[in-house]
Amino acid sequence: MPTQAIPMTLTQTLIMGVIQILAVLIVIFIIVPLTTFAERKVIGYIQVRLGATRLAGGHVGITGPMNRIMWGMGKVPMLSILRGLPIFIADALKLITKEDIIPAKADRGVFTLAPIISVMAAFGVFACVAYYPGVMFYMPKSWPVIGGLPFQGFITDVNVGLLFILGLASVGVYGIVLGAWASNSKYPLLGSLRSAAQIVSYEVPLTLSLLVPVLLSGSLSFKDMSVALSTGKDLNPLAIIPLFIGFFVYLTCGFAETNRVPFDLAEAETELVAGFHTEYSGMKFGFFYLAEYANMIVVSSLATAFFLGGHYLLPFGLQRFIPATMPIIGGPSFFFFFAKILCILFVFLWVRATLPRYRYDQLMDVGWKYLIPLTLVNLFLAAIIRFAF
Amino acid sequence: MSEPNTPDTPQENAVTPEVPSGPYVYDYAASPQRQIVMPKTVPLPSLKTYQAEVVAAAAADEAKWQKQLADFEVAKAKAEAEGKDAPKLPVRAVPRKDDNDMKTPWPVEAKDADLLKLQELLGDKVEEIFEQAGELVCQVKKEAILDALKVCRDDVSLKYEMLADQSATHYPAAKDFAFSVVYHLTSISRCKRLRLRILIPEGFSPESACSEYPSANWMEREIYDMLGIRFLNHPDMTRILCPEDWEGYPLRKEYPTVGWGQRDIDFREDRGGVLNRLAMEKAGQMGINLKQPKAD
Amino acid sequence: MFKNEEMEINLGPQHPSTHGVLRVKLRLDGETVTHCTPVIGYLHRGVEKICENKTYFQGQVWTDRMDYVASISNNLGWAEGVEKLFGIEVPRRAKYIRTMLTEQNRLASHLLWLATHALDIGAMTVFLYAFREREYLLDLFEAFCGARLTTTAFRIGGLREDLPPGFIKKAQAFQDLFLDCVDEYETLLTENRIWKKRTIGVAKLNAEDCIALGVTGPVLRAAGVPYDIRKAFPNAAYAEMDFEIPTRTEADTYARYLVRLAEMRQSHRIIQQCIDGLPEGPVMAKIPKILKSEVNEVYHPIEAPKGELGYYFVGEKGGLNPYRMHVRAPSFVNLQALPKMIEGRLLADVIAAIGTLDVVLGEIDR
Repeated sequence: MPTQAIPMTLTQTLIMGVIQILAVLIVIFIIVPLTTFAERKVIGYIQVRLGATRLAGGHVGITGPMNRIMWGMGKVPMLSILRGLPIFIADALKLITKEDIIPAKADRGVFTLAPIISVMAAFGVFACVAYYPGVMFYMPKSWPVIGGLPFQGFITDVNVGLLFILGLASVGVYGIVLGAWASNSKYPLLGSLRSAAQIVSYEVPLTLSLLVPVLLSGSLSFKDMSVALSTGKDLNPLAIIPLFIGFFVYLTCGFAETNRVPFDLAEAETELVAGFHTEYSGMKFGFFYLAEYANMIVVSSLATAFFLGGHYLLPFGLQRFIPATMPIIGGPSFFFFFAKILCILFVFLWVRATLPRYRYDQLMDVGWKYLIPLTLVNLFLAAIIRFAF
Repeated sequence: MSEPNTPDTPQENAVTPEVPSGPYVYDYAASPQRQIVMPKTVPLPSLKTYQAEVVAAAAADEAKWQKQLADFEVAKAKAEAEGKDAPKLPVRAVPRKDDNDMKTPWPVEAKDADLLKLQELLGDKVEEIFEQAGELVCQVKKEAILDALKVCRDDVSLKYEMLADQSATHYPAAKDFAFSVVYHLTSISRCKRLRLRILIPEGFSPESACSEYPSANWMEREIYDMLGIRFLNHPDMTRILCPEDWEGYPLRKEYPTVGWGQRDIDFREDRGGVLNRLAMEKAGQMGINLKQPKAD
Repeated sequence: MFKNEEMEINLGPQHPSTHGVLRVKLRLDGETVTHCTPVIGYLHRGVEKICENKTYFQGQVWTDRMDYVASISNNLGWAEGVEKLFGIEVPRRAKYIRTMLTEQNRLASHLLWLATHALDIGAMTVFLYAFREREYLLDLFEAFCGARLTTTAFRIGGLREDLPPGFIKKAQAFQDLFLDCVDEYETLLTENRIWKKRTIGVAKLNAEDCIALGVTGPVLRAAGVPYDIRKAFPNAAYAEMDFEIPTRTEADTYARYLVRLAEMRQSHRIIQQCIDGLPEGPVMAKIPKILKSEVNEVYHPIEAPKGELGYYFVGEKGGLNPYRMHVRAPSFVNLQALPKMIEGRLLADVIAAIGTLDVVLGEIDR
């Protein structure tokens, strides 16, 4: 939904920018803890146990009425999704109030800098992610200075947005490597070496798989790409094949990029104790934690935007079969985007509960021997479809 | 690897301050069981000893009976002389039958083909063969243990492929030996077990079985650790369960079962580490291991 | 300026996946292990010395504390060893109950192995599935003897008590449930590509090396040697039971996984036979209140979940205590094979190898 740009003064631009950034940050800071909560609950569900139950499980408090109703129905209120919910607040409080230990032989400056790099790289990416391709709503006219201005569904629409995202996401690994090196300890060192090698090898297929949507849509801007790919106006019907393959390759590489199971070698707790963040505690560790979950959301939103139809209902360019005049499913919606992100996050958790971990050399094998050739072939296919037909 | 920081040991001629009694307590009187009771017998199962015991017991029983008879004769003569009633004829005591399900497995003559074969192959290196509780026992000369193991493993009719267990026992009351070392061999293909045994005096180092059975490696280290028997030609004759600088051999009979009392050291008060150091020294004199192990 | 240097790293004694306080000194070239030395003894309590100063009845309590995940097997070894020393014949019903409990304990031990081994390799869900069934078994043990882990289940000469009322019913309920549960574990792991990649060809130990290093139990059977003490030297009521010895020939971690799963099914079979054919009669032999030994020496091996568990007793004349007690702990001997299994392989394989050996440090250090 491209809208006409409304001319804004510098003050108005700045204030709107700050408001939009704050809005995104608040959403992230809510979603990330909710993801950790969801992780407890989803994995608990898969493993036939209750997950977090300690808070909000009783007869009093916020969830008290709901629990009372369930008890009254003669059921254990285990299905109450709010059971254990406040744990994320407790988690945050715990991380903030914990003693912040810096090992005596660590490099203090770099040790402190590393989590900041990680979390900055993870959050910076959100600047280019479009949650809605256009204006979400207009500020109320009655407000001073910013009255009547549009609230965009993205912070900024860089025309090389994809490059910005990929570049910034790769910076995240510096946080891991530097933090581990600065810890001056052996297990973190091993973890960081694994992580560096892993990111280097998986950046290649990741980028190559993202080139498929770039090729098919002919743009690098996040918003334009997602709109072009999902509405599918200029898209060849055959383009569904490379997009489909690309989606799975991308998701696999996304798992590797975010250090999640089955590629969580950098923090394999049964091998390397805790991997790169063995020596970290308190909020420094919290930053790594935050960065990991923020990265998961980034990977999910990229997959959603480029492969799963973004803000529209149907993925892989199938949206063309639904006329744009249909009331809800015809147009873009923030909720479609969000729901797809949640689905992919669920896949992240599901995989974590199910699969064992790869070994280091096998990880490299998967990356170099299977994924890179596959993405190259896929890219070739996409190019043929784009230009030959 | 860096050397762990060991506490400074004071010079020989330096004046060590009196050990204050406050922060740590050695409670010598806490346990009445501190006295070490050394065994007086040598419980080494052996057919020869058992047979000798049986003969001796029979002889003692006979002697007792004869004495009873003689006493009776004397008493009878005395009674006749005094004109009283004659005393009752003594009844020979029959061993009381135990009404229980226990049948003590005594050692019996070796009938198993393996033992006879071993004796045939090893000749006079075998000191004794017998069976007990269904187990085959072969005691060989202490110098010949490696030959015996070789024969057991390599001979086609024996084929004891695996050394299942190796252990030793301390016999402080014995005169011409101090330890018995037993080797439990298993023949997986023939489903048989055999126990080889050697008797060694204090200070004697038997040949290690590692060259024949690599599984002996840790077992011999454990024996060394627990009983202080050193094995010759062992690849790594070091302690395995106790720390490297442990003093004494725990499974010897003279080793105390009860410690030296509770050491109650409040290290928080000990800013300079003086008490800690003194406690370690004192503990060292008493055979308590408080020292940090040295890096190897 | 640049130099190539091997890194020495201590895996343990505080490490999430060394199953206790095992310390493995590793020398790493990159991630490849060039040299490996297991260091043990952190849990040494001197059980052998303690048992020399306890009567035959009291000593059994200490066997619980050795292999604390398979304490009933340890109790069985102690009780039968002492019975062999005294020549006590146990009533048939007691033998059946002992067999049943020991096999249930084998299931519990194998379940714990499966749980931790899978967790080490990264599959965390199997852990909770296996613990769900183990919980049921521990409840059964609690019903029988009042304790879940440190059971001291048997008495010398039989059992202290007969089975509690309702035990057979509960055990049968577990029997009906269990085979499906094993299938459930298999759906998660057996055909899982990553699991196969992580386990096939890893930590190989062929039959000759197994025998030379004294390795017994599932590790030996996964190398193709059908050596099981329950068949080779039958104790308890195993001679009357109909079961098979599962073997594989690949001698790798995956083969050991399959062997242990097959063993669980066989144990299930044995328990069923015990339940069905449980004879009537007394559960305790007639023995004196105070046992005084003669000069005697026995070595009694049984098939514990980890391998050959042997008790060596020396009795003295009129002694209330064993003159010498020695335990041949399967984990202790099996752990010797660790360097052979992992040298030249990757760090992640060390974890897999420790898991597949199924070591319990309480038993190694005693």
